Amino acid sequence: MSLKKRLSSKEFVVLAEMHTPKGVDISELVNNGRRIKGRVDAVVIPDMDNGVMRMSALAGGVLMHQQGIESIINIYTRDRNRMALQGDVLAAHVLGIQNLIAVKSETMSNCDHRDAKEVNDLDEIELLKAVRMLEEGTDMAGFDLSGVPSFTTGCTLGSFKDDAQLDQELAKAKEMVVAGAEFIVVPPVFDLEYFASAAEKINALGVPVIATVFLIKSVGIARYMSVTEPSTRVSEDLIKRIRKSPDREAECLKIAGETAAALKKMVQGVMIVTLGWEHRLPTILDFAQL
Amino acid sequence: MITAERKPLEEIIECIRPYDRILLVGCNECVTVCAAGGRKEVGLLASALRMAFMKEGRTLEITELTLERQCDPEYVEELVTMIDAADAVLSMACGCGVQEVARRYKNKPVYPAVNTKFMGASVSQGVWAERCQGCGDCILGLTGGICPVARCSKRLLNGPCGGSTSGKCEISDDVECAWQLIWDRMKELGIQDRYEEVMVAKDWRTSRDGGPRKIVREDLA
Repeated sequence: MSLKKRLSSKEFVVLAEMHTPKGVDISELVNNGRRIKGRVDAVVIPDMDNGVMRMSALAGGVLMHQQGIESIINIYTRDRNRMALQGDVLAAHVLGIQNLIAVKSETMSNCDHRDAKEVNDLDEIELLKAVRMLEEGTDMAGFDLSGVPSFTTGCTLGSFKDDAQLDQELAKAKEMVVAGAEFIVVPPVFDLEYFASAAEKINALGVPVIATVFLIKSVGIARYMSVTEPSTRVSEDLIKRIRKSPDREAECLKIAGETAAALKKMVQGVMIVTLGWEHRLPTILDFAQL
Repeated sequence: MITAERKPLEEIIECIRPYDRILLVGCNECVTVCAAGGRKEVGLLASALRMAFMKEGRTLEITELTLERQCDPEYVEELVTMIDAADAVLSMACGCGVQEVARRYKNKPVYPAVNTKFMGASVSQGVWAERCQGCGDCILGLTGGICPVARCSKRLLNGPCGGSTSGKCEISDDVECAWQLIWDRMKELGIQDRYEEVMVAKDWRTSRDGGPRKIVREDLA
């Protein structure tokens, strides 16, 4: 069943994020995709939104499609103007990509090409509207299209450290839903108790909510996130659990799996993010019993 | 200088329609030189607004004042004695001036009466043209004193594109090809050999692409 159908029939969906290579060696990406084929509903292919120049998401999405794996590609506005974005969106449809997520991107000063020029011709809301316009048969200049694309298009919720910030982010998210977002991906969840109350508010947006499960790979990363990103709510207990484990790597995978399983009761899907440990996705899915 | 053009009267009227008392503030610097928002333009706009409101049967109270420099807190402070008597401020300064008034008088709505255009030079009486984009890393020393960032339509850094014809840019016969100008100037200076030097991809961090910019002069701060 396609992601679109699963979302509309309120089935729980499992997504896994996989990055394209910085180069042209696609073997790892393709092999990792094959490892989880049939176990996830779609693979999410980020573009360069996290600030690293790499092979475009469009190519990554097509590679998944060639393996018989449904994909979702990230689109964002920092690097492309409205013409390039619309052109890529049309290309994506023709090449078999059925799903998009309009995402935020790192500012250029945090990227690995710090001297590059930012485009930012549109913002996320305008981008979502542009996709909707293309689906309705015209481009942003009002010209008719010859053949009309269709997608399931999502958006993301910004990180939030408390209820006040969550409310601000939800206000933006509402605009994105009005603009055409059909599902929303929310930031990594580490504090399930707090997220349970947040999820109620996010679910009120009226579109399927997909929570991010971020694989913490070491005590160091957990500590770093706890100190530098308070909005992640990585607790001392969580850090202690990894630190005291005789097999820290397995413990990390187990935590991610348990989190995914717990989120099944709160939201309509999870997106598992492993940042380089995509080959361990099957183990996480085992722990999550997904 | 920073150049500006007054907004259409209808747009200004729509901005101030909810108010009865307007403080109309000009600036004696760049916008005076480009005849967009100096003392004279303040007087003209005030009259036009009074007449427009009178036609609608309303009386608009306008206080006119032109500051020496609206982007400078020292001069913006002069508004303190009259700000309370106004429902809103209508500024004829560039965007820098509008924002300085808004920063100083937090509870007062401020509206721009001009569109800030570009950093330019006076070409002839009543004509101004763009000359600088403030990229933060000046290359005029390499291009014979003519800026391709501001004056080439494509911001090309290594010679003209195929759209350069008889010294004109393909976008319009009114626009000179910056690279033709650079070549002509280099020839005149006898430094044509520099034209062959290939410029590397520009580092845009010093431009707006590195985020909003600020200059801190510790010797003056």
